[in-house]
Amino acid sequence: METKKLETGAAPRKLGDYLTRARDKAPAHADHGAGGAQSVRKDSYRDHEIEIVTTYKILVDGKKIRAPLGVDASGQVHCHSLPNYQTSSAVDMVRALIDGFPEEFERKPAPSRRRPPSSRKSRPAPAHKSKPAAKKRSKHEH
Amino acid sequence: MAVVRSNISTNPGIRDQYIEGVKLLKKEASGRTTDEFGIPGAARSVSTYDLFVVWHVTAMMIETPPGNPAQRNAAHRGPIFAPWHRVMLMVFEQNLQRVLNDATFGLPYWDWAEDGDLPPQEQSSAAIWGADCMGGEGNPVATGPFAFHASDPSAFRVRISTNISGELRSVNRGLRRAFGVSTDALPRTAHVTNALALSPYDSPDWDADTNSFRNRIEGWMNDDGVSATSMHNLVHVWIGGEMLLGSSPNDPVFFLNHCNIDRLWESWMSRNGRVYVPDMTAGADLKGHRIDDPISSPLGRSATPRETLDVSAIYEYDALA
Repeated sequence: METKKLETGAAPRKLGDYLTRARDKAPAHADHGAGGAQSVRKDSYRDHEIEIVTTYKILVDGKKIRAPLGVDASGQVHCHSLPNYQTSSAVDMVRALIDGFPEEFERKPAPSRRRPPSSRKSRPAPAHKSKPAAKKRSKHEH
Repeated sequence: MAVVRSNISTNPGIRDQYIEGVKLLKKEASGRTTDEFGIPGAARSVSTYDLFVVWHVTAMMIETPPGNPAQRNAAHRGPIFAPWHRVMLMVFEQNLQRVLNDATFGLPYWDWAEDGDLPPQEQSSAAIWGADCMGGEGNPVATGPFAFHASDPSAFRVRISTNISGELRSVNRGLRRAFGVSTDALPRTAHVTNALALSPYDSPDWDADTNSFRNRIEGWMNDDGVSATSMHNLVHVWIGGEMLLGSSPNDPVFFLNHCNIDRLWESWMSRNGRVYVPDMTAGADLKGHRIDDPISSPLGRSATPRETLDVSAIYEYDALA
């Protein structure tokens, strides 16, 4: 590689120009994570054409997550968002996503049933409507 | 004249220059703003250092070809892995030389296999994680030159990251590391030796399932030829935090890891010759990975894998593996 070409191309302005152009060439930004990534695997066997379409729908705490999971020809699960991982199980990948993106899985603190004594004194008790019992959280099978 | 790249753990002068250079690039405004890269929210200035974060994420999102189930992209999961990162490191090194005003500066590498040979419980206290080097772990990292201090606007901050969809997002927080959470140990010297013994640089199907040198050092397969996290990937995963994400160049250790991977590639070429596959007879499915295809970089269409095979005029390593 020519040193001159490297020196010229390494200028921050050149890198910035390149990145704004390259952004338009990244279709994955538009297609992935929009609510169900899809993998299409194709193979042939004994003159038969095989096509396997895999779509993941993932819920964590009942909420759909927008992670672009895919599966390769050998059945390994991968995800753009965690580019150095590959797992044999989508459950393991979701666990890694929970570790990698803690903010996206933060639970809102449950509303307190008991108010501190001072607030009970200073604020009138609100008129509660009766609420249905909270749904029992289903256990995930790992 | 070629600069010399050396081991950060044994060269305190280069170590200190590297830290200073990273901080200078982090403070330098690139002239770009976040909105120009499609990052939602108020437009904010992007530092020169953070352009490398954007570059890594952008390359990862360019699938080659679009929609391929192996998620082969413009920088990973295929033959282009070593040449693309070589170009990225050279561009980064040029910028460090510029801000340090030292044309002789060579990027240091972290020989992680030396630390991987230590018992697992000692690996997180290796010299590289000392307060005088990269600092330790934490959320945020609280020791070393990249420690976060909320009240200090000049402290090292992560400003661009990715969300769970892999899209760029503005953030404002400290660097994160969590050693050994998903894996308990770094790669060892034996793994390096075994990888260097593989003669094909890469081989069909040119993806994460092939038993080739490229795939082994990228880290999709273990020494037994079984899918597993190893080598380069294992280093990312062992460090954790920032290094898990597509925006992993946020951690300055990213460049030390890749400089070592580049050193291993150079070591492999010293044994096998300056050869690369696939050539241009490969099909369009491998466009972006063939020897004369342009690398996704600011260097233009003439920067190809072939151009990266001999960089002896630009840099050399103090020691090969």
